[in-house]
Amino acid sequence: MNKFSFILKSGTINFSLAVLVLLFCTTTWASPLSSRQQTQQQITGTISDAAGPLPAVTVTVKGKTSGTLTDQNGYFSITAAVGDTLVFSFMGYKTVEITVNNQNTIKVQLQEDATALKEVVVNAGYYSVKDKERTGSIARITAKDIETQPVTNVLATMQGRMAGVDVIQNTGMPGGGFDIRIRGLNSLRAVGNAPLFIVDGVPFASDAIGNTQTSTNLPTATSPLNTLTPSDIESIEVLKDADATAIYGSRGANGVVLITTKRGKTGKTQFAVSSSTAFGQVISTMDLLNTEQYITMREQAFANDNIATYPATAYDINGTWDRNRYTDWQKELTGRTAQITSMQASVSGGSAQTHFLISGTTFQQGTVFPGNFVYKKGGVHAQLDHESIDKRFKVSFSGSYDIQDNDQPSRDLTRVGRNLAPNAPALYNENGELNWENSTWENPLAALRAKALAKTNNVIANTLFTYVLPYGFTAKGSFGFTDLRHEESRSNPSTVFDPIYAATAQNSSIFVNTTNRQSWIVEPQIQWMGKASQAKIEVLIGATYQHTATNRMLQQGSNFTSNSLLYNMASAALVRVLSDDDILYRYQAFFGRLNLAWDSTYFINITGRRDGSSRFGSGKQFATFGAIGAAWIFTEASFFKDHFSFLSFGKVRGSYGITGNDQIGDYQYLDTYQSSTALYDGGVGLAPIRLFNPNFSWETNKKLEAALELGFFNDRIFATASWYQNRSSNQLVGIPLPSTTGFTSIQSNLDATIENRGIELSLRAVPFQNKDFGWTTNFNISFSKNKLLQFPGLETSTYRNQYVIGKSINIQKLYQVTGVNPQTGVYEFKDFNGDGMLTFADDAQVTKDLNPEYFGGLQNQIRYKRLQLDFLFQFVKQQNWNAASYYSTPGAFSNQPTSVLGSWQQAGDVVSTQLYTSGTNSAAANAYGRYAYSNAAITDASYIRLKNISLTYNVPTGSKGLECRLNVQAQNLLTFTNYKDGDPEFRSFNYLPPLRIISLGADIKF
Amino acid sequence: MKNKLIIKQRLLTIFSSILFLLVGSCDSFVEVAQPNSQLTSEAVFKDYTTATAAMKDVYAKMRDSGLLTGKSSGLTHLLGQYTDELISYQTSETSAFPFYNNSLVSTHIFVRDNWNSAYSQIYAANAVIKGVNASTVLTAQQKNQLIGEALFVRALLHSYLVGVYNACPYVTSTHYEQNLSLHRLPINEVYALCIADLEQAVSLLPVAYVGTLRSRPNKRVAQALLARLYLYTSQWAAASNAASAVLNETSLYVWEPDFNKVFLKGSTSTLWQFAAAGTVGNTQEGLLFVFNAGPPSTASLTTALFAAFEQGDLRKTNWTRTITGNATWHHSYKYKQGMGSSATTEHSVVLRLAEQYLIRAEARAQQGELTTAKEDLNFIRNNAGLPNTDALTQQDILEAILRERRVELFTEMGHRFFDLKRTGKLNAVLSIVKPGWNNTDSSWPVPESELLINPNLAPQNEGY
Repeated sequence: MNKFSFILKSGTINFSLAVLVLLFCTTTWASPLSSRQQTQQQITGTISDAAGPLPAVTVTVKGKTSGTLTDQNGYFSITAAVGDTLVFSFMGYKTVEITVNNQNTIKVQLQEDATALKEVVVNAGYYSVKDKERTGSIARITAKDIETQPVTNVLATMQGRMAGVDVIQNTGMPGGGFDIRIRGLNSLRAVGNAPLFIVDGVPFASDAIGNTQTSTNLPTATSPLNTLTPSDIESIEVLKDADATAIYGSRGANGVVLITTKRGKTGKTQFAVSSSTAFGQVISTMDLLNTEQYITMREQAFANDNIATYPATAYDINGTWDRNRYTDWQKELTGRTAQITSMQASVSGGSAQTHFLISGTTFQQGTVFPGNFVYKKGGVHAQLDHESIDKRFKVSFSGSYDIQDNDQPSRDLTRVGRNLAPNAPALYNENGELNWENSTWENPLAALRAKALAKTNNVIANTLFTYVLPYGFTAKGSFGFTDLRHEESRSNPSTVFDPIYAATAQNSSIFVNTTNRQSWIVEPQIQWMGKASQAKIEVLIGATYQHTATNRMLQQGSNFTSNSLLYNMASAALVRVLSDDDILYRYQAFFGRLNLAWDSTYFINITGRRDGSSRFGSGKQFATFGAIGAAWIFTEASFFKDHFSFLSFGKVRGSYGITGNDQIGDYQYLDTYQSSTALYDGGVGLAPIRLFNPNFSWETNKKLEAALELGFFNDRIFATASWYQNRSSNQLVGIPLPSTTGFTSIQSNLDATIENRGIELSLRAVPFQNKDFGWTTNFNISFSKNKLLQFPGLETSTYRNQYVIGKSINIQKLYQVTGVNPQTGVYEFKDFNGDGMLTFADDAQVTKDLNPEYFGGLQNQIRYKRLQLDFLFQFVKQQNWNAASYYSTPGAFSNQPTSVLGSWQQAGDVVSTQLYTSGTNSAAANAYGRYAYSNAAITDASYIRLKNISLTYNVPTGSKGLECRLNVQAQNLLTFTNYKDGDPEFRSFNYLPPLRIISLGADIKF
Repeated sequence: MKNKLIIKQRLLTIFSSILFLLVGSCDSFVEVAQPNSQLTSEAVFKDYTTATAAMKDVYAKMRDSGLLTGKSSGLTHLLGQYTDELISYQTSETSAFPFYNNSLVSTHIFVRDNWNSAYSQIYAANAVIKGVNASTVLTAQQKNQLIGEALFVRALLHSYLVGVYNACPYVTSTHYEQNLSLHRLPINEVYALCIADLEQAVSLLPVAYVGTLRSRPNKRVAQALLARLYLYTSQWAAASNAASAVLNETSLYVWEPDFNKVFLKGSTSTLWQFAAAGTVGNTQEGLLFVFNAGPPSTASLTTALFAAFEQGDLRKTNWTRTITGNATWHHSYKYKQGMGSSATTEHSVVLRLAEQYLIRAEARAQQGELTTAKEDLNFIRNNAGLPNTDALTQQDILEAILRERRVELFTEMGHRFFDLKRTGKLNAVLSIVKPGWNNTDSSWPVPESELLINPNLAPQNEGY
């Protein structure tokens, strides 16, 4: 301790010098290890398991630095002295130690170890920890889980496989995003619930890079996460509790997703090639009215409205259109099969000191829309590790470059496919041109001529230097860099218009959005590890300097000379820059960790971080976060060893701590005017951009967790149960304001507390495991409850009609339908306060929770000889909006789901669907408006989905060192649900549902 | 031993450097400069050009969104559909179709957006008043100009709000703490506040226009709106005087005899128009109404309106156009430049001379000055190629003025609706021709989202 206090006093030399020192002034400490001179002998042998020779088994001499790996035939050769102990270890197998006598050859058969899971070393970000010894809550999937799935998005690979991690696909459109929520909603801000993504140590900003003007075919603006390539990933760890996330301080409130890419291994250079062809189709369609039902509905509607002569604009029934024509518009517009091809190749290998891996991928996906639309993706990934001979100096580099090129229609035809009258005219006329039916409709195919193009280039690179210092110290320096360039455009060529308008290129326009984001991060760290009797101590201190600069520019070009020049801004007579923003985000932190282990039985882990962020005003920039976690492996106690021998592993762990959230956007504390885009009288205007409040600060999230981990029968059954309670307070929100204030919200802290409480269970079992047959099963289920704990002044706040204390923050207040009035035929609702009037504030008193009640997955892996079958059932118990909330009043000029059949027709009818109206019955229109916000509009949308199934055959090649696998994979193969209105997995209705993908592929390794 | 000492020293260097990071103050790292696309509010009002840019942006917003825009979401279109001027060819519930059917719901996006954008534009006007008042740099003349314009805009927007939504809050400050719980003021109080603001604007604004092409209001423009609001509130003498003040400004305002030139950007009968968004492209109204083959995609004139023109009315021949295909359609042709137009020849006109004649005619008739009332009415009629009115009694003259207003001011920011409403004829006229018309349709609903967020806006208008 004296040394420490001495060091603390002298702090003068600046940081950059320190880094230089860390990196270059290293060699003097290399103290040669003196080894005893003994008789060395060459020992050779083969290592195998029940199935045959085992390559890449690590063979080391205990207590010495020498070591080797077995080759493809399980053969090894090593020099050791008599009396030395050889250690044979391999992930997933029990380690075997053999003392060298005078033998020259050794044959070892390793036993598979079901307990492997706890030997796994888990990446916790700034440090790694043995799964067995960890004090925090960390979920994990690895390349093995990822490679069975024919998906392109990293978040898709996590769906159903991780307890507490809720992933929802927003759209089936290629390039569309996913939503991820780790342990529920912590923030009242819809956009404040994203976790922190870290790729190989580099934070990867997940905020949208698209613009709503150019991402019109997606429910949310383009996410940068699409650029990451799943096949490059070795593992994904999700940090959930305070113990694991507090070291990420202000950014850890919503959990942390750590993505680690693949690395090379010591051994022979290995080439691997895999390719696949797949077919994708829309997973589900809605049951809509056919022509006969539709025409009957329309006739009834006009009859109800006492309109005898159909209006001139009612083309569907006034004889303008063929009243008998029928088209299944869903099939016609979104029913094609998208062809998907993908290919990956990699070379990896390395010596004892240097490992490398280089890989490349390409991917191409067609479309389900009529037309030629292609999503292309490709990338290269390189990784290099080097270690000095004395193992003191280590450098590790990983870099990836990914490209996306997306060519899609600017409009998702799902909505029009669901709304178009079933007797709408043919798409093409007899000349093969688009049919406009005398201008009585907007041909949906014309919209496909307006394209949404997107190109993304993304570089992520990180270098980590490690130097082992004397006295148990290790210095590390991590340098990361990202460079993302994204350009997307939405064109609106004159060809989308009905030719009768005689539109020319002068009417063509295009929006172009470019987003460039560069960031660097520097993280110097020092670790110290010490041992005293049975205590093991690890200390880590470090600092973070992060700088992210984003430039976004949105331009509109119009009035072109030719449609062929649409992508050339110089050819537009009118160019407007709609926005041009430079956003600088800077972040600085100091962090530390203290870990104490006693006798490999008791563990205490203390982490903390002091954070500063440029997103807050002066004086509010810094805050401190921290956590403590503890674990006790009680099966280490002799009492358990003696009396509960079936219990092979038992651990209790718990943690408590505070993390923060700074996802509030940049510069929100400034009182400013911004250049508006609109020209007026020869100049660009200036517009006030927000209501001014400089006094907001950090949102805090207190997390509490307790967990029990049990392994039975030599860990063949391994169960984890965790309970958590997260409370976030000092909510940082855009408080909604009435528009009389000029704005719709103001940035401010709110004294509201939200609690997420839940239980997560996961179970892993290995019922059978032998040479020919193996069966592994994984099950996880997460129950979570979200609750608004307190909100002083809720009743007088602008949130009064949105939230209820004691209920979830994802509730919807709803009217209660009491039925259809038999006399008027119009929906009626319960008048809760009995004032004879229906107002949302007083009478929308029913609440429904849109958060899932529980969700999870059941994954199985069955291996029989050379065949391996993997499948995953994903299940979600939830409620969601149904078609009633998205369709117009039944009877109007729009198709409807078949659920509207059986409507009220005459006085005395007792039915559940109100009368049809062509649109003139305002009582019916108002009632339907309320119906869309009634308890009838949110229904059960639970589902069980055969999310993924994969069958792999390991082809006997007859040649050593050559592996060949053939596989059939399917994604979203079967769905079981009571939800009637399309696919139940969505956040926004009327977007393309996820695709069912069936893929055939082959992997070759040599 | 010596080696060990060196090691110790080097260790010290590293540790102390890293510890320096932990103890050293680095606050400046996270202090970032203001982004280069923004100016602080204070700086905006330190300079007349930037302060003017803040005011101009309010006009640009009014031109492009909300009540006064010529887009399909503005009053020109929506009130045309709501009354007997237009037929809707849109059929979606999120379009103007429910306006056409008079089956509005309080959640309709146009109901909400028109309310919201009006108050957002009013905020911007109030921010100009606040910023200019606080400025120590602007001259008194500059201050008068900008405050006068901002007061005018505030009154204008509130007058349309009260016209469609009935009782509504009148916002005069930028303090959100006050503005978040405002009550709706009775209709007559809103008009009184509009008039007070306009009277002040009249006293502040000069007669000479600033800017180009009458794109910013002057004293006479404020008086023209004042004349309208005096008329709406039955202050006949004041209405007549205010209209006279405008009409007598003959150095600026000259009647344009060619109906094809009334809506051109250089028209001398224009009082105030929105400047164009650029040098190419024309008005939103033109894009909305003009079509060259039927059926149109959005709107056509009703046959009733087409039939309301008397034989020989030049406005019928110049301001409407008939398209024949497998049926016949008429469209508003005040603005000639539709899709495919390039060089800017037309600007969106907000206030023009003809209305002032009709205001004065009506105000005079109401005061019993029938002869001079008929003079004003006949001025309009004769210029349209029509003979003098044959109306004799006060009642007949007032009826004749109302008919004249219908054919003069059609599809211009909802005149038809406001005229029928203020004269109490709304139900009688519209219930005959509009199947969905109810007597409670004399106002739109207050947006549901606003009622929920500010309960002081309750109760909802009757019928919703």
